Amino acid sequence: MVFSFSQPTAANAMHIPATMISTKFPLSLLNKKTSTFFIKPAKTLFSFRPITFQRLPANPPSPPPSSSSSSSSSPPSTSLQPIEELPPKLQEIINLFQSVQEPKAKYEQLLFYGKNLKPLEPQFKTKENKVEGCVSQVWVRAYLDSDKNVVYEADSDSVLTKGLAALLVQSFSGRPVNEIIRVTPDFVMLLGLQQSLTASRNNGFLNMLKLMQKKALLLYVEAEKGTSESNSIGNSDFKDDSYVENSSGPSVTPSLSVGFSSEIDDDNVDLGGRGKRIKEKLEKELHPIELEVEDVSYQHAGHAGVRGSNGETHFNVKVVSEEFQGKSLVKRHRLIYNLLQDELESGLHALSIVAKTPSEVSKG
Amino acid sequence: MEVLLPKLPSFKFPTPSYCRSITTKTSSCVRVGFRRLSSLPVCASTVNEALADPTVDSPSLGHSTRPHFPILHQEVNGSKLVYIDNAATSQKPTAVIKALQNYYEGYNSNVHRGIHFLSAKATDEYESARRKVEAFINASDSREIVFTRNATEAINLVAYSWGLSNLKPGDEIILTVAEHHSAIVPWQLVAQKVGAVLKFVNLNDEEVPNIDQLKELLSRKTKIVVVHHVSNVLASVLPIKDIAHWAHDVGAKILVDACQSVPHMTVDVQDLDVDFLVASSHKMCGPTGIGFLYGKLDLLSSMPPFLGGGEMISDVYLDHSTYAEPPSRFEAGTPAIGEAIGLGAAIDYLSGIGMEAIHEYEVELGTYLYERLLSVPNIHIYGPAPSKEVKRASLCSFNVENLHPTDLATFLDQQHGVAIRSGHHCAQPLHRYLGVNASARASLYFYNTKEDVDNFIHALHDTVSFFNSFK
Repeated sequence: MVFSFSQPTAANAMHIPATMISTKFPLSLLNKKTSTFFIKPAKTLFSFRPITFQRLPANPPSPPPSSSSSSSSSPPSTSLQPIEELPPKLQEIINLFQSVQEPKAKYEQLLFYGKNLKPLEPQFKTKENKVEGCVSQVWVRAYLDSDKNVVYEADSDSVLTKGLAALLVQSFSGRPVNEIIRVTPDFVMLLGLQQSLTASRNNGFLNMLKLMQKKALLLYVEAEKGTSESNSIGNSDFKDDSYVENSSGPSVTPSLSVGFSSEIDDDNVDLGGRGKRIKEKLEKELHPIELEVEDVSYQHAGHAGVRGSNGETHFNVKVVSEEFQGKSLVKRHRLIYNLLQDELESGLHALSIVAKTPSEVSKG
Repeated sequence: MEVLLPKLPSFKFPTPSYCRSITTKTSSCVRVGFRRLSSLPVCASTVNEALADPTVDSPSLGHSTRPHFPILHQEVNGSKLVYIDNAATSQKPTAVIKALQNYYEGYNSNVHRGIHFLSAKATDEYESARRKVEAFINASDSREIVFTRNATEAINLVAYSWGLSNLKPGDEIILTVAEHHSAIVPWQLVAQKVGAVLKFVNLNDEEVPNIDQLKELLSRKTKIVVVHHVSNVLASVLPIKDIAHWAHDVGAKILVDACQSVPHMTVDVQDLDVDFLVASSHKMCGPTGIGFLYGKLDLLSSMPPFLGGGEMISDVYLDHSTYAEPPSRFEAGTPAIGEAIGLGAAIDYLSGIGMEAIHEYEVELGTYLYERLLSVPNIHIYGPAPSKEVKRASLCSFNVENLHPTDLATFLDQQHGVAIRSGHHCAQPLHRYLGVNASARASLYFYNTKEDVDNFIHALHDTVSFFNSFK
C-alpha cells in the first residue's frame, strides 16, 4: 500500500496558524513523528501490525498548494481549539490525514484504522454503549484503568464508521479524563475528512466523540464518588500534621489539607499545601530550568470533582527540563503523572501540563 | 453530457414523433459526450450499443425530458451527478419552478379571504390546482381533495379525525409489515387512545405482502385496512381494487398510501373504489410542502375537524364554533398556496407526457436496472423478481454481502457522484422482518436514462471491489 505524501515542511504544516508553530508547537517533534507513519499502540491494548508507508523522494515538487483546500473546508482559524491541547495521538493522526490529500486515500487510511481496531465483545454492545444519530450501528465501551485513565473500545457494522471509531479510540484511549473532555469537535475540520464524509456520518463522528466524553466524565464522577466517601469515613482518624501514605486508597482528608494550608498560608499566598508539594516534587525529580505551578481549582468550582475536597484540585503545570529530552509527549506527561501519583490519589483531579526541553523553548 | 444537447425549442409535451427526432440529435451528442469521459469507456460502448440497436426501447423519454430538469446537469464531488434517489424525492421541471416564481411575482395573495383582484386570482389558481388533482386521480368531486402538507399529514388527518371518532376498543386495523412509518405510527397513536388493535400482514416467499393472509385477517372486527399501493422498498404492487372489495365486504374502510404509485402510473380512485388515498407532491415533480388526501365526499362530510383555526370554520363564538364543509373543514390556516399551484403545474407537465407512457418507460428501465444489478456478486435485491405478471416499480432495494449499505452509498457519492439512499427508508419493521439493519436503494424516474443505470452499475462494481480489497 503506497501512501503518497510530502515531507512536512513549515509551509506544509501551515494548516496550523503560524503563531501556534512558533510559540507552542514543537516542530522538531512534528518532524520526528511524521517521518515514518507507524500506527503505534498508545497502550498495548490493540493488536497492531505497524504499517509503513513508502516515502516520496526527498524533494517533492512543491508543497501542495491545494492541501489546505482539499483537506479541510477552511483553514483553521484561531477560533479552533489549538492543536496542542489535543491528545498527542490525535495530533499525530491529524497530521497524517492532512498530508493525505486525495479523498480516496483518506478512505483507505480510515479503513486501515478500522481494520486494526480490536473488536468489541458482544456483551458490550448494549443500548448504553450505542451511539445515537448514526446511520450505521456504532458502540463505544469505556472503563478506567489502574491509572484512572479512560480506556475505550468500539465497534461498528460499517467499515468507514469503524475507521472513524478506531481513530477516536486511538486518540483517546489511555488518556486522562480531563484531556478527553476538553477536546472540542473542531479537530474534525483539521482531519479534512469532512469533505469526504456526508453530513450524517459526520454527525455520527461528533456523537461518538460526545458519547466518549460523556462516558469519561461519568466514569470519573463514579470513581470520585468512591473517593470522597472513603474520605469522610477516614476523617476522624488522621491528625493534621501527618500526610500519611496509605496504600488502601485516599488518605488525605479535607481537614488535613486545610491544616496544611493554614500553616503555610503566611508564607505563600498563591499555592496551598498541595501546590507546594507538587512544586517540590517536580523540582526534586526533574531539575527544571523553568517551573510554573498554578492552582486553577477556582475555575472548576462546583464541578463534581471538586466536591468533597477543599480546593487544590486542578493545576496548570509548566516544566522545562532536560529530563524530557528524547521522550515523546506521552512519555513526558506520564513521567509527571507518576511523580505526582500520591497527589492524584489524594484529591488532585487534573493537571494541565506543558512539558518542554530547554532547546524546544529556545526555538520560539 | 447534457450540456451538449442542442438548444431545444420551448415545448412542453413532446409528441412521440418529435421524441424520436429529438432522440437522434440528443443521442449523438450524448455519445460524443460519453466518449470524452475517459473514465467511463464501458459506459460509452454500452450506450452506443443501446442506441444503435433500434429494437431496444431507446430511452427516448429519459433523454427528451432531462433538459427540463436543470438540477440534473451538474457535477458533484468531481463527477457528473447521477440522481437515482427518486423514491425519496423527485426533481422539478422548469415549468413547475416557473409556476412558483410566477405566483410570487404576479399574484401572491391570501386565498378565500380577500375580494381584491390579486386575491381573486390566487384563489382561482389554487382551486384550479385542486381540480387538476381531482382530474388526475379521477375523483368525482373536487371537494374530495383536501390539501395537506404531505402524505404523512394526510394519514394523520384520517387517523385522528376519522379514527378517533369511529374506532372502539377491540376494533382492528390491518396493515402490512412493509408499510412506511407514516402509515404505521399515526395508527399506533390512535389505537392506543381508543383501545384498537393493529394487525400486520407478513411477506410471502416472493417478498411480497401475503394477500392470502390479508384475506384471512379480515373480519367483522376490521374497521380499516391501511396499505401501500407500491412499496418503496420492495417495489411490489398490491392489488388495491381487490383489497378494497374484500375490505368493503366486511364493512371496513380502506386507506391507500399512493406515494409511490401516483407519480408513476395512472391511479383511478373511482375504479379502485378506495375510501381514502394519500400522496405527496414532492414525489411527483411538484414542490415540497404540499400533498393531498382524497376521501369520498360522504366520508369526509361525516368527519370532525383535524386542525382548528381559520378557514375551517363557519361561525365562531366564544364557547363553540361551527365548521365548514369539506374540504375547507380540513384546511385550517393559510395553505401552501404557491406550492399547490406548483403541484398543479406538475400535474399538467406529467399529463402532457402521459402517465401510461411514463409507466411503460419505467417498467422497461426498472427491469433493466434489476437485471444489471444482478451482475453484482453477492447481491440480494428485495421484493419480487420482475416477470410478465409481476411488474415491479422502477426501484431496487438491495444489500451486498459483507458490505454495509452506508459505506456503499458514501463511496458511490464521493467517488462517482451517484445519489442513492441507504438506511431503513422509513420502513424499520420491514427491515427487521427481512433480518437486516439497513439496505441501499436506487430508484428511478422518467427522466433517468439507461446511461444513468449503466453509470450506477459501473460505480457500484468499483465500490464493491474497493471495499472487498480490504477484507
